[in-house]
Parts: sequence; C-alpha cells; structure tokens
Amino acid sequence: MSARDNILQRVRDAVRAPAPRPPAPAANSIWPPLGEAEARFREEFTALKGEIIESLPEFLAVFEKIATDGSELAGKGNATAREADLGVTACECLVAQTGSVVVTCRNAEERALSALPPVHLVVAHREQIVPDLNAALALLRTRYGGDFPKMVSVISGPSRTADIEKVLVMGAHGPKRLAVHFVRS
Amino acid sequence: MNPNACRFQRAARAKAFDLRHRAIVAKNIATYHAAVARGLARFADWESARRRAAAIKWEVMNHLDRYLEEFERNVLARGGHVHWAETAAEASQQVVALAKQHGVRRAVKSKSMVTEEIHLNSALEAAGITVLETDLGEYICQLRGEPPYHIVTPVMHLNREQIAATFHEKFGTPLDATAEQLAGSAREQLRAEFLRADMGITGANFAVADTGMIGLCTNEGNGRLTTALPRLHVAIVGIEKLVPRLEDLALFWPLLATRGTGQFLTVYNTLIGGSENLHVILLDNGRTRLLADAEQRNALHCIRCGACLNVCPVYRTVGGHSYGTTYQGPLGSMITPHLRGWRDWSHLPYASSLCGKCADVCPVRIPIHHHLLHNRRNVIQRRLDSPIQRLAFRAWLWAVRSPRRYALGGRLARWAMRIGIAAPFAKAWTDHRELPPAPRETFRDWWRTNP
Repeated sequence: MSARDNILQRVRDAVRAPAPRPPAPAANSIWPPLGEAEARFREEFTALKGEIIESLPEFLAVFEKIATDGSELAGKGNATAREADLGVTACECLVAQTGSVVVTCRNAEERALSALPPVHLVVAHREQIVPDLNAALALLRTRYGGDFPKMVSVISGPSRTADIEKVLVMGAHGPKRLAVHFVRS
Repeated sequence: MNPNACRFQRAARAKAFDLRHRAIVAKNIATYHAAVARGLARFADWESARRRAAAIKWEVMNHLDRYLEEFERNVLARGGHVHWAETAAEASQQVVALAKQHGVRRAVKSKSMVTEEIHLNSALEAAGITVLETDLGEYICQLRGEPPYHIVTPVMHLNREQIAATFHEKFGTPLDATAEQLAGSAREQLRAEFLRADMGITGANFAVADTGMIGLCTNEGNGRLTTALPRLHVAIVGIEKLVPRLEDLALFWPLLATRGTGQFLTVYNTLIGGSENLHVILLDNGRTRLLADAEQRNALHCIRCGACLNVCPVYRTVGGHSYGTTYQGPLGSMITPHLRGWRDWSHLPYASSLCGKCADVCPVRIPIHHHLLHNRRNVIQRRLDSPIQRLAFRAWLWAVRSPRRYALGGRLARWAMRIGIAAPFAKAWTDHRELPPAPRETFRDWWRTNP
C-alpha cells in the first residue's frame, strides 16, 4: 500500500460517520453596497498606497531601465526584469471593492516583471474594472476555462511588512511602488 | 507530570512576570485590535460571512476523500506533481529527495507553519542544503535561532531594539536602525538569495480542488519571489487546506486577512498551478486521527489566522514560546494533543480560562473553547490526569452528593482556613495571591439566624 492509498483509506474511514452539519447561513449580502465602480476603485487603491498615474510621459521620464510585457508601451521597454527600475504589465481586471489589480503570468519572465523591479506599473482600461472579488474570479474562469495561467496574483497595493513592532514599512520584497495608468480606449 | 507539562509551567511562570515581554506583546496586540476593528467595519454582515465559511469547510471536511482526489487529478492534469506523506519525517525526506534529484544546493522558503511542523529546515541542513527564510519575521527568527512566537506574527515578542541588535551583530547595521532600515537590509540580503536559489519552498494557505491551485497569501511579496524565481517549487500542504472552488476564495481571502492582521486582503493573494516545476506534498501527520473524531472534526476547519492567540488571556500572559508547540495558543491546544499524542500534550487543554473569546473571533466559527473542554474530557477518559487530582474529585463527588456531608465539608474548610492549615493545599494559588480570610460563619449558619 502506498502512502496515498493509506491516507485516502484513513480519510474514507474517518468521514463515514458524518459530523453535525452547521446551521445553514442566511442568503443576505455580506458586503456593504459598492457605489460607483471607478470611484470606489480609485478610493480603495489609493488608500492602499497605490498611485494612479494621470500623465504617463511625466511618470516614465524618471526611469532609465524599463521592462514591459509588450502591451501598451510597445517599443519603450529595453531591460530585463532583473535589472529594470520599472516593470510594466497589463492586467486581467481591477477590483473596485478591494482596490486590487489582478495580474497573471504564463512564464518566468512575466512573473519576474511584476515582482522584481522596485516599481510596478499596470496599464489598464477603465472597462477592466469589475465590482468585486467574486466577479474577478468568475471572469478568470470564463476567460481561461480550465487552462489558467501559471500564476494568478491579486495584488492590493505595494509590498509591505509590519513584522517589526507592527510598524508599516513599504517595499519588503516586492515593488515599493505600485501604479495604475488608465489608457483612453 | 510529563516533561512537556513541566517545561510549559516553568516557561509560563517566567514569562508571566516578565514585564518587558508583557509590554511588547500588549503594544503589538493593541495595534492589531485597532486594525481589526477597521477591517470588520468593511463587512455588512460578518456573522453571515463566517457561517458561510463554516458551511464550506464542513462540506470539504466531510467529503475530504473526494476533494483530495479532485485536487490531485487537477494538479496532475495541468502538469504538476503530487506526493503524499503520512508523517512529518516522510514529508521532509521527500523534500530532501527532490532536492537531491534536481541538484539543489540552496533553497528559499516563504513563511509556512507546516514546514515548522515537519522540522524541514534541520532535515535540509543535515543533507547539506542551505535554506533561508524569506518572510521578515521568520528571517529574524532564523537569525536568532528561535522558533516563531506566533503563527502569523513570528517576532511579536521582540521590540525594534532587540531586532536591531541582532542585525547589528550579523550585518553591521546601526544599533538604532529603524524598522525601515532593518527591512531594507533584509530585502538586500534576501534579494541575492532569491536570484541564486534552486528551490522555492512554500506551504499553502489554500489548496483549490477544482483548479488544482496552491493559494499563498503574503504582504511582503516573498511568496511570489519564492515561487517565481527558483526552477523548482515544492509546496507542502496539510490535507485540511482544501477549498472546493476557486470562487470560495472571494470569501476566504477577506476572512483570513481581516482576522489575521485587520487588512481586507493581504497584499499578494497568489494562485499557482499548471507548472511542471510544481511539486505538491499532501501531508497527513495525524490529521486523519482528528478527522475520525466526528465530534471534534471541525477543529480541522482552522485557516490559521491567529486571531484566537491574540485574544487569549493565557497566550498573552505566558507567551507563544511557552507552549513548546508549532501551533500556539487556543488553536494549538485544540489540535496538538490530537496530532501529536495525548500522553505528551495532555496539559495543553488546561492552558485556558474557557472564556470563549477564541470562539467569538474565529472566522470559521470553530467552537474552540468547547473543544478544549472536550480535550480535557479525553484526557480523563484516557486516565492521563494525575492520580491525586482523580482522588480529589472522587472525594468532592462523594461529599456533594449528601447535604450533610457537604455542610460538614464547608465547616471543616472554614476551620482549616482559620487556623491556617489550608494554605499549603492552595499553594498554586497562594504563591502569587493572598488567600481570602475565612468567613465568620458559614452560609448555612447565617441563613438560620437571618430568616
């Protein structure tokens, strides 16, 4: 018998006697009303210390080495993620309820793009804002069926730690700054 | 008394009177409570949310065989690998074997309590593999050679000066370094390690059955770097970590973050799957024993948010290290005897005032203090309580079954208190407190004279 068979057999034997079922939860909404989606996104995202970039040229001017996944800033990227001062990516969607950006990666270079450079810029369309986490996950399922990208990240603000005396420090291991720029469509 | 119980009592006694420890932990937890209050305000109906989570976890745990098979099927279908480990030693050996097979010399680890549970670091180091913690708190623990003090906040017991002293000694940073400088130094040290590590090791906050994904929740981004950069990713997953559907995370992510730190979401909620570099190790290590106990099965619903530790008057007084367990506080006292044996850990369920605050705050509605009471019953049923205690309760039972014997007992106790021979029997109490003076008359006498 393999460890797998042993464990599964023990699990089967264990759950033969059912545990008392907890009371059925109420069907009411557990979240307060969302409000207007874009306004809510801006409010949540900036509360998490994310930056919304209105003027792209001005923002880009300070960076020397830029790495991109090719979208929206085509031609401007010239560095690899490991050496770049700025990583630019697209996103799957933005979540109004939580101020999050949902980024997916299919390969190692894409994964590094939103993780290694000290600044991460997400280029997005306003139409990509979805109301809540439920909608974001449902969108991923519809878009990919079973074939999800290798990494899905729901990113809510720049990297941070509060491990030392609960004092908030930005930029623990991931990007110190997270920015979103909305492209006119 | 078993050696673990002796160690616990000794450590607890020392910590309970360590005023610096008390001040550091109180400050940390006060900050936590303020954040959680803000976090809870983001829910319209917190109670419904946790009821929903409890229902989902009930569904998983009572059909765990099906969900495990579904999860395995989906990981395999997307090119990943699944291993099963019955014990801690088996899981560690599997990681070491994978490392050797792939020529791994250096590994980085994202914060994971299950790897503490199986003592993975020492197994890897014994095999000549360097392993580095990358969560700042865990990194500090590793530098100091200490186990984590808290499942979510590993260095809750240290103040900035103590951490700065450690960094000063190891890296020459200033003794008065700020939290920002210390985190910056760790970022610098670890960035190089991320880039040259051959293997990334993680646990899992969630394992999603219907998509075969590993869910990691971090704030620092170390979970993403650990899984994105090295060529091999090993995830060690307790079999209780499953959720049925991807969409369930829209509920579980906020529940975990709200009670874990007061955030609505941790910064990085990452899902990993579909890679041939992914090796998942599904770990039992005693979990099926707890699963077999239908009455206490829902103890496995725990999502390790750490809220029950923060509110527990015992945890706050004796501190996380006193328990001597991987999982501290009420949650640890609930599961450790089941997972690691009653003989060695029978004292843990008594490290509770049964006030029930742990159950109040639990985001998946585990009746933790009831389980602690059940565990005390289990201890008695296994005859692991002390013979003296057993005799005392027998005598008590005999006395209270007759009004005359009860009245006589009251008189004797009052007499013993008056002439001062009661104190030695109440030593555990009188070591730190005054015994109240004996009442002038018994209640019965008073009742008779005051009709």
